[in-house]
Amino acid sequence: MYLTQAELRTRVAELGREISRDYEGREPLLVAPLKASLVFLADLSRELDIPHGIDFVELASYASGADTGGHARIRLLKDLDEEIAGRHVLVVEDVIDTGLTLNYLCKTLSLRDPASLAAVTLLDRPYRRLVEDLPVRYVGFTVPDELFVGYGFDLEERYRNLPDLHVLTT
Amino acid sequence: MTLETPDFQAYRGQEPPRFANRAELECAKVLDYYGVPWEYEPTTFVLEEDEAGRVVEAFKPDFYLPEQDLYVEVTVMKQSLVTRKNRKLRKLRERYPDVRVKLFYKRDIERLAERYRLELAS
Repeated sequence: MYLTQAELRTRVAELGREISRDYEGREPLLVAPLKASLVFLADLSRELDIPHGIDFVELASYASGADTGGHARIRLLKDLDEEIAGRHVLVVEDVIDTGLTLNYLCKTLSLRDPASLAAVTLLDRPYRRLVEDLPVRYVGFTVPDELFVGYGFDLEERYRNLPDLHVLTT
Repeated sequence: MTLETPDFQAYRGQEPPRFANRAELECAKVLDYYGVPWEYEPTTFVLEEDEAGRVVEAFKPDFYLPEQDLYVEVTVMKQSLVTRKNRKLRKLRERYPDVRVKLFYKRDIERLAERYRLELAS
């Protein structure tokens, strides 16, 4: 086990207080890319004591388009339901690794003229970062170069429901 | 074996890239998929010259990401065999301290392969 339910809860509560303080007087929209960030989003939302909205996007993964031989480009499988022009958008990520996915998402959302755009990530794995200029304002845990299951992270869609975060051993 | 050359969209070079191995090709495809502009081996950095000014050692990183101003070198050598590559990288950083370069080791590529389901076998 890498992080217990209690450790996760404590850190998410800290993030919630920090975000509530920083966004006081505003009503941010939390935008979560499906699916791994779902559990983190649910817990984080309940730790915020400011009004806020929730919305979701789903991005086509590289793996799902790998057979197209490089012709495919990342795209939204599910777009936001909400308009974000003039709104304060906070992207809620499960993990940031190369930064490629968040870079695409932030570029896409920026085109819609939000009042502000920032990101919070539960896990940061910075060792292979290819895009540095990301608006990541909050980090839950900087983690070692491992793969994880539990707390929303899956292995072929299993184990998302585990309350603790486990290192996946192969 | 000749590697495929997909119709890249984020490639910013002039000539079609000719990758040295499958790992480089797969990295290029990932960059392209995420719309990150990239170039292939655009710059040769001189690392050492002899007394007559002839280049005796140089380093040409595999990728350059212009929006990030970042060079990326991909190696699929075993960790125990990358000493020479590490030494070159150290020399590059000493001689060109403003150049940002990252080395992706075999284990990094394997991690990316797990994440993105890359085809590295062939």
